[in-house]
Amino acid sequence: MAAEDLPSEFDVVILGTGLAESVVAAACSRVGQRVLHLDRKSYYAANWASFTFNGLLTWIQQHHESQPEEVQDWSSLLQEGEELIYLSTSDSASISNLQVFCFTSEEDEEEEAQSPDPPNTTEEETVVDDEDAVKETPETESADSKDEETKEKPEESADEEEAGQASHLEGEEPKADKPCPSTAQSQSEATRKKISYAQLVKEGRRFNIDLVSKLMYSRGSLVDLLIKSNVSRYAEFKNVTRILTYRHGNVEQVPCSRADVFASRQLSVVEKRKLMRFLTSCLEETEEQHAYNGRPYLEYLRDQQLGDNLQHFLLHSIAMVTEDTPTEVGLTSTRHFLRCLGRYGNTPFLFPVYGLGEIPQCFCRMCAVFGGIYCLRHSVHCLLVDKDTNRCKAVIDSRGQRISCSHFVVEDSYVAGERKKVATPTRFLSRAVLITDASVLPSDSDQQVSMVTVPPIAAGSPAVKMVELCPSTMTCMPGTYLVHLTCQSVGSAFEDLSPVVTRMFHTPESHDQEKCPSVLWCLYFNMADGSEAEVEGHDLPSNMYLCSGPDGGLGHDHAIRQAELIFQKILPEDDFCPPAPNPEDIIYDGENTSPSAGEEERGGTEERQEGEEEEEEEEEEKQNLQTEE
Amino acid sequence: MSMEDYDYLFKIVLIGNAGVGKTCLVRRFTQGLFPPGQGATIGVDFMIKTVEIKGEKVKLQIWDTAGQERFRSITQSYYRSANALILTYDITCEDSFRCLPEWLREIEQYANNQVVTILVGNKIDLAEKREVLRQRAEDFAEAQSMLYLETSAKESDNVEKLFLDLACELIREAKQNKLDNNDTAPMPGEGKTISYLSCCSLN
Repeated sequence: MAAEDLPSEFDVVILGTGLAESVVAAACSRVGQRVLHLDRKSYYAANWASFTFNGLLTWIQQHHESQPEEVQDWSSLLQEGEELIYLSTSDSASISNLQVFCFTSEEDEEEEAQSPDPPNTTEEETVVDDEDAVKETPETESADSKDEETKEKPEESADEEEAGQASHLEGEEPKADKPCPSTAQSQSEATRKKISYAQLVKEGRRFNIDLVSKLMYSRGSLVDLLIKSNVSRYAEFKNVTRILTYRHGNVEQVPCSRADVFASRQLSVVEKRKLMRFLTSCLEETEEQHAYNGRPYLEYLRDQQLGDNLQHFLLHSIAMVTEDTPTEVGLTSTRHFLRCLGRYGNTPFLFPVYGLGEIPQCFCRMCAVFGGIYCLRHSVHCLLVDKDTNRCKAVIDSRGQRISCSHFVVEDSYVAGERKKVATPTRFLSRAVLITDASVLPSDSDQQVSMVTVPPIAAGSPAVKMVELCPSTMTCMPGTYLVHLTCQSVGSAFEDLSPVVTRMFHTPESHDQEKCPSVLWCLYFNMADGSEAEVEGHDLPSNMYLCSGPDGGLGHDHAIRQAELIFQKILPEDDFCPPAPNPEDIIYDGENTSPSAGEEERGGTEERQEGEEEEEEEEEEKQNLQTEE
Repeated sequence: MSMEDYDYLFKIVLIGNAGVGKTCLVRRFTQGLFPPGQGATIGVDFMIKTVEIKGEKVKLQIWDTAGQERFRSITQSYYRSANALILTYDITCEDSFRCLPEWLREIEQYANNQVVTILVGNKIDLAEKREVLRQRAEDFAEAQSMLYLETSAKESDNVEKLFLDLACELIREAKQNKLDNNDTAPMPGEGKTISYLSCCSLN
C-alpha cells in the first residue's frame, strides 16, 4: 500500500463501494464535492462484486476464517465536545451458510482438446491423467451425446439444427438472436471433454462470478441513470436473449415480444390471439382491473380465460410474481416488463459484459474522473460526533488519521447492529452459483443469455430466479455456462436451491437426468437482503446515511432510489448525475502545437451526437408501439 | 453511426505509479502541452487523437487513471477493453521501476490476453538523476515480452514515436487477426455500449 497519507479534509466521506455508495460518490463528485471513497476490502463493490474463479475461492476461504480486526482506542484524538462512535470491525454477518461442491474430476481426464487460446494463458502444460481418473459413467455418457450434437453445429443451418435437437428438447425454439459462428466453434471444441477442476482453476480469470444476480431492466432506473450520466461509456452490455421457464419438468421458452408470439410453435393460434389481446389490454388501466384490486393476480388471469399455458407465462415469467400476489401489483410488474421490451432487444433485460460487479466500478471511475479520491484496503474505525449538534465532524481511519467531513455515507454492514433500527427480523436471500457444461435449453446459438423463472416446485418452496450466462458475456470460460440462482430464503441456500438444481441439472444426486447439463462446480450461500434497510432513522449522527447491501429484486431500482435519496439529503439543490462532458467535445484552451503526423480532434461532435440520440429515442418509441400493439 | 471518420479505433490505457508522468505523456501527445495545467484533467475521461498511418486513419482513445493509482485502487473495469497498455515508470525513481511486477500482475488478471503492452521509462530529460539503467529496463521488458521505449514528455522525446509505434503494432495485429480469422474467444468489445445497442433488433 502506498505510504502516502490521505488528505485530511473532505466534503463527503463514503465507506463501502457497493452500488448505492458508488452512485452517491459519483453524484457528489460530479457536482464538485470533494469525495473520499474507501473500502476495507482489496476489491471494489463489496457484496456486489464479481470474482474470477480463483478470486471466488479466496473469498470463500476468507469467509470461513473471518477474523475481526482489533478494536483500537482512539479516544486520545477526541476534541472538546466530541464523542466517539466505533464502527463494526467485522462484516461476516451478511454472508452465511457457504457450501461448495465440486462434481468434476480434480485433474484432466485425458489429453484434452485445448481450448483455442492465445498462447500466453495456455503455455503451462496441463496435468495429463489416465482414463481411470475419477469419473462417473452417466456424466461420460452425457458428454458423449453432447459431443455428437456439438460436432455438427457450425455447419448446419438453423432449421436442421432445431430438428436435430428435437429429441433432446420438449419445447420448440423460436428463432433466437443471431448465432455467433466464431464462438460456437470454440464452444464445440471445448465441450468435447469434460472440463476438469484443474482447468477451471487454470482458466479461472475468464470467470467473472457475481455475488448478486440481477438484470438491468432496459427502462429501469439504472439504465436511465447510466445513460443520463454518461457512465454507460465505461461498460458494455449484452441483451438477455431469451426468457425461459421451468414447467412440468421441462424448460420452455416464454414468448414475450410480438415477434416471439408469432414465431412460437408451442402456442396455438387461439392462444396467440388471446395473448396478444391480453398484452395490449393490460397496458391500460380498466374498470375491470380495478374490480380485482386486492384479489390475487392469478384469479384475474384465470377469469381472462387464457388457459394454463398463458397463465403460467404471464404469472411466473412476465409478471414474475407468486400465486397470491394482488392483481394491481401483478399488473404493474406486467406493464413494467412490457414497457422494457424492444428498447434494446426482444427481452426487457440487459446484462453487463464482465458481470454486474463492473457497474459500481463504473460509477467509481466517474467519481475519480471528477476528483474523487479512492483507497481500497482502508477503513474508518470510528466517528467523531459533536455532542451538541449530533453531527459527525470527522472520521478516524484505520491508520489513526483524523479526516474531517461534512457528510458521511456508509454501507450498513460497517455499523454495529445495536445502533440500527431494524424493523423486522433480517431477511436473507438464498444464492447458488453453478458452473455447468451446457445450456438448460440448447439452441442453434450457444451464446444465449437466458432468464429462467422457476415457480415453486412444491408447496412452501420459494420461487427461484435463474440467470444463465454464456461465455460471450465474459463471465465464464468457453465450454461452460455460469448459472445464478436466487430466491428469498426459506431455509438455508442449500435447502432452498439444491432441489431445483438436482431437478434441472445433472449432479451425482440426480437420477435419470443424463440429458440435463452437468454441474461441474457449485457454491451455495445466503446473503442478507438489503431491501428493508432504511437510509435514516437510526441511532446515528444526523449527517450520516446508511446504504443497504444488495436486495433481492431482479432490477436495481432499490439501490438507485437509495442513492438518489441520500444525494438529495446531502445536496438538495443539485442535479443528480448530470451528463459528464463527452471527451470528444472538450475544447482545451492554450496553444495547440499539434505535431505534424496527427490531426487534432476537437469539438464539433456534440450536435451530431445529440441528433443521434433523438433519432434513437424516436426509433425506440416506434419499437414500443410495435411491441405493445 | 459516427464510425465513418476513421479506419481503426483503439483504446490505449496508461498505468504505472503516481507521478511518473502518465498524464504528461498523454497531454504532450494529444495537445502538445507541457506541463498540463493542473485541474485541467478534472472531468476528462480520455483524450482522442486521430493519426494517419500509411494512408489509414487511426483514432486513438487514450485513457488515464483518474488518480486511482495513487492508493493502488484502480478499478478492474479500467483495463477491460484496452487494446494496448502503456506501463510507465520514472527513470529517476527506482521505486516506480520496482513496482512494475505488481502492475504486470494486475494486467494479467484483468486485461485481455491479446493486449499489446509497452514499457515506457519517462523523464529522460533528467538524465543526471537517473536511477534505473536503460539496460536493466530493456532486460526486464524483454523477459516480459514487452516493447520498451524511453521518453521525455517535457522535451517531447519519443512521445510521438511511442504512440505511433503502438498504433502501427495495433494495426498489424488487427490485420493479422482478420487474416487468421481465429478470434475464437469472444473478444472484449464484443458487447455494445448502451448508446450503440441496437434498438432495431426486433424481428
